[in-house]
Amino acid sequence: MAFPSIQKMSLARREELAGYAFVIPWIIGFLVFTIGPMLASLYFSFTKYDIVTPPQWVGLDNYQKAFSGIWDAIRSGDPRQFGDPLFWKSLQVTLYYASLALPLNLIFSMFLAVLLNQKVPGVNVWRTIYFLPSIIAGVAVTLLWVRIFNPRLGILNPFLTNVFGIKSPPQWLGDPEWAVPALVIMSLWSVGGSMIIYLAGLQGVPTDLYDAAKVDGANAWQRFWNVTFPMMTPVIFYNLVLGMISTFQYFTQVYVATSNSLGGLGSPQHSTLFYNVYLYQNAFRYFDMGYASTLAWILFIIVLILTALIFRSSDVWVYYEGQLRGRG
Amino acid sequence: MKNKLFKLLALFAMASMVLAACSGDATEAPAEKQKVTILVGFGTGTDPDQVTAQEALAKKFNDSHDNITMEFLIVPNEEATERFLTMVSGGNAPQLVGPHGTSTIARFKEYWEDVTPYIEKDKYDFSDFYGPATTINTYPDLNAGIPLGIYPSFLFYNKDAFDAAGLDYPTHDYADTSWNIDALKETAMKLTLDANDKTPNDADFDPATIKQWGYADTWTDMRGQLTMFGAVDQGRPTTDDYKTATFNAPERLLGAQWIHDGVFKDHFIPDAAGQSAIDSTGADPFGSGQIAIWYSHTWFMSEGLNDLPFEYELAPLFYNQNGERIARIHADMFTMVKSADNKDAAWEVMKWLTDPEQIVDVCKIYGCLPARISTEAAYSDFLKERYPGIDYSVIFKAIDYLDSPHHEGWVPEWGKVNDALNNIQSILYTEPEADVQALLDQGNADLQKILDEYWASH
Repeated sequence: MAFPSIQKMSLARREELAGYAFVIPWIIGFLVFTIGPMLASLYFSFTKYDIVTPPQWVGLDNYQKAFSGIWDAIRSGDPRQFGDPLFWKSLQVTLYYASLALPLNLIFSMFLAVLLNQKVPGVNVWRTIYFLPSIIAGVAVTLLWVRIFNPRLGILNPFLTNVFGIKSPPQWLGDPEWAVPALVIMSLWSVGGSMIIYLAGLQGVPTDLYDAAKVDGANAWQRFWNVTFPMMTPVIFYNLVLGMISTFQYFTQVYVATSNSLGGLGSPQHSTLFYNVYLYQNAFRYFDMGYASTLAWILFIIVLILTALIFRSSDVWVYYEGQLRGRG
Repeated sequence: MKNKLFKLLALFAMASMVLAACSGDATEAPAEKQKVTILVGFGTGTDPDQVTAQEALAKKFNDSHDNITMEFLIVPNEEATERFLTMVSGGNAPQLVGPHGTSTIARFKEYWEDVTPYIEKDKYDFSDFYGPATTINTYPDLNAGIPLGIYPSFLFYNKDAFDAAGLDYPTHDYADTSWNIDALKETAMKLTLDANDKTPNDADFDPATIKQWGYADTWTDMRGQLTMFGAVDQGRPTTDDYKTATFNAPERLLGAQWIHDGVFKDHFIPDAAGQSAIDSTGADPFGSGQIAIWYSHTWFMSEGLNDLPFEYELAPLFYNQNGERIARIHADMFTMVKSADNKDAAWEVMKWLTDPEQIVDVCKIYGCLPARISTEAAYSDFLKERYPGIDYSVIFKAIDYLDSPHHEGWVPEWGKVNDALNNIQSILYTEPEADVQALLDQGNADLQKILDEYWASH
């Protein structure tokens, strides 16, 4: 079989080949470093595997371990009846965090973006100031906030006491009730990334829509709610999907904040036992790579379902400019 | 023409590669040295001065051995587990790991080579080693290695704090049974001060503003903290067949209640927030000046006794409620990895590192007391020079009061067991209203569940 020389190929064909040549390194990397490990972890999820001994096929045992005892736990109201109570605890902690952090991050970053979209002197300086925290490494931000939250030495509790008169402010990361809210507050520090995307979206809203709304007598709130918000829904949708995925992958901050604290990773009293923390413990502390792989696949499926639901719901609430909606 | 030139060059390049791959050396290759990599990172050994000292140690070994090359692979402590597991799973296991203690040896128990055949082959003589050093990391199915060093435990006390409170220093006499758990509590309460220098014995004492606590033993886990109270299984929360949980034994219950009362009722032990505040200062608890009596091991000396702004001394651990003294001990060694190659060479390196000629120098790097009795005088000289003025006899006598079974020793599902019990520890230090009996019963039930699951599949 003879290959035609490059000179004899058409321009389109040569460009096509060049395209493939450029993309091949990425495809190889994707296959070897993403798809390969994913398939391996899928296999391991059906095995008992501790690294030292070869994987031993156990079928659905790992999945059964995660989900067993559901009805007993529901009937008795006792979470200890779950086959693996910490699996459910970690899921609960993650969903609790997501339910607080996700909407607050979306609202707060949008709020900042709207503020920073105003024509005020020095707006670029303000934008830089608000964006800066998001480029600081997560470990550094966490160490900073651990210090801020410290009940005895931190600056937050004296502020709450002296300014708001709160006599017994929370123990924050040392209190099982307040540990997750503390992490939510910490997450607001890094909304700069979402804020910049909102800002770009805001600057793409056609000004003639505002002009038309003004002519119709709309006030500032009505202009925001009837013009800005609908035009921003694609950006909200984008930030929602990415935010949801990253929320379910939450790990570094908890690892830094709690791994050396009394009670260890996920403390106090498992109140910060996020799903990925529990996955990490199973893999690298209990050496149960099979079950850790199972947890990874369960997480993948949960995120996939939630993402699909968000995509499905987008038909109802996301508005794309120029999109025509069918009318029967 | 261009095409022909390109093809010619390509052919030449391929031919060169084939020739290079197939050719052998004209001269006979010298016998290859066996390489022994020592993974350092699970315990001590990662500080810059230790790195330099280990490099010098490797050079000393390599200069005196023709057939083995030794190298240290030093990784940060927080990456050690992932690095080790990656190396093992990748078929590139290090030959030796260490120095590390009982907890790491127990946690990775399945990974270590049993060195019994090497000991028997060489008729290796253990008579020069302290008894505890040879037993702590030995199980019926595993002798993990040759002991390197031990770390007895005792009290470090801030003499300035005692002077300010007008208190006598604790006795250094191990036979003095009046130095017991009640005496410690009484002393520690007098040493605890709030912002207005009031003690918990004063009516207007404010626990929210404590600036100095009397006593702390917070650099250990739940098993470690409760060992001194003398349950029948001491540091092991199970029966000797590892099948029945004994975590809620009466002695542990008493100990847990004593700790909880010490934190929230008598206020001489820092609660979780207090410990977190101390950590935030960047100093260790004793060095922060906020703990008057600190219970720890010899390994604390190298990192905690540098340039302290106050006078300090050492004292024996107090007797417990039953008139027993159980002072935890740690023991370090290098362990051989089961799946590694060059194991014979690794055994030679292990012997060399723990040889009487070397062991003192090696222990100086890692801050441990050499496990060989014959080196006691040499190490005492080192201690005298390094920590002048302290009563180092306290250190050596503590060895006689070790915990057995050990508080870091193997139990089934070591990580899960310790995490479950450490969750109880977290509650003891955070919940003023905790029902300690119920807490220990729950911990026992959790532990029994872990044991039952383990034995169902083993």
